[in-house]
Amino acid sequence: MNAWLTLLETPADGGQLAGLVGFKLASCIALSCAIFAIGAWGVLARRNILLMLISIELMLNAVMLAFVSFARMRAGVAAEYTAAAAKALAEGAPAEAIAGLQAKSAIWTTSGASGQIFGLFIIAVAAAEAAVGLAIVISYYRHRATVDTRDMTTMKF
Amino acid sequence: MVDIVFILSALLCLASAMTIVTRKNPVYAVIFMLPFFIGMAILFVLLSAPFMAAMQMMVYGGAILVVFLFVIMLINLRPEELQDDFNFTAYIVSALAGGFMGGLVLSFALKGISPGMASAFEHPLQAGEGQPAFGSIESLAQPLFQVHLVPFELVSILIVVALLGAVILAKKRV
Repeated sequence: MNAWLTLLETPADGGQLAGLVGFKLASCIALSCAIFAIGAWGVLARRNILLMLISIELMLNAVMLAFVSFARMRAGVAAEYTAAAAKALAEGAPAEAIAGLQAKSAIWTTSGASGQIFGLFIIAVAAAEAAVGLAIVISYYRHRATVDTRDMTTMKF
Repeated sequence: MVDIVFILSALLCLASAMTIVTRKNPVYAVIFMLPFFIGMAILFVLLSAPFMAAMQMMVYGGAILVVFLFVIMLINLRPEELQDDFNFTAYIVSALAGGFMGGLVLSFALKGISPGMASAFEHPLQAGEGQPAFGSIESLAQPLFQVHLVPFELVSILIVVALLGAVILAKKRV
């Protein structure tokens, strides 16, 4: 309960929920959470199996947005290290210090790109999931002539 | 400027997502997937992921959406089959469950974002000399075919298996 209260209260720096307006990491994650919740509601509340599949696509998209947002954050960390390396070079820092900063920049760039690559994997898995799910829907409709989950009671105990 | 584009595309995504899950007729739900995917693609461009945005529009807007439309046309639902779907208790309970899920993840997300992460997110990206821009095809190809080669090949196997399985499942019995 305490965690929820600290989210809502407004300390001197403006609170956390107040800082959600604008293009920020927290607002991207909040948007992703909202879309995920809408998709979860769709899967739970709807009885049309096609709409349940569409809601699953919404949830996958929400997760993809979170991946890409954190990838952008990691690219920002890499850019900070690059800037630090350039600054160290200008100040005449020792070569191994500059090389260390550049290596850290390369690591964070790769991990940022990995976030986007996982988003691409999600797209591929979503395409496969849609193909198989819709094939099952077609097959079931051919046998039972319904897409309503309330009528799908063959395995009900 | 970026803030305004972000807020507009976020509102577009939220509004079309709400429209998708509340339509009675699945055809309208599928049609409203298009503005949703466009909004997501705009967000990806803002998040410096132009290749992801292109893939989003091609695979989701081009392939998955059309497959959904084809299936809806194929099974040819009669209007009386789409009548109700309104069950008050189930709607309330699932609204609570969905809100709880979203709120839980949101609280963890907000707690987990440190000021350093927030400032790194807003740090401008500049590619080093000789380096491809972040999010371009070049910058994604390098880790995709070096670090993530095995998952990449596994995904291609997954797609082949899924497509063969879809054909076999949807085929008429001979």
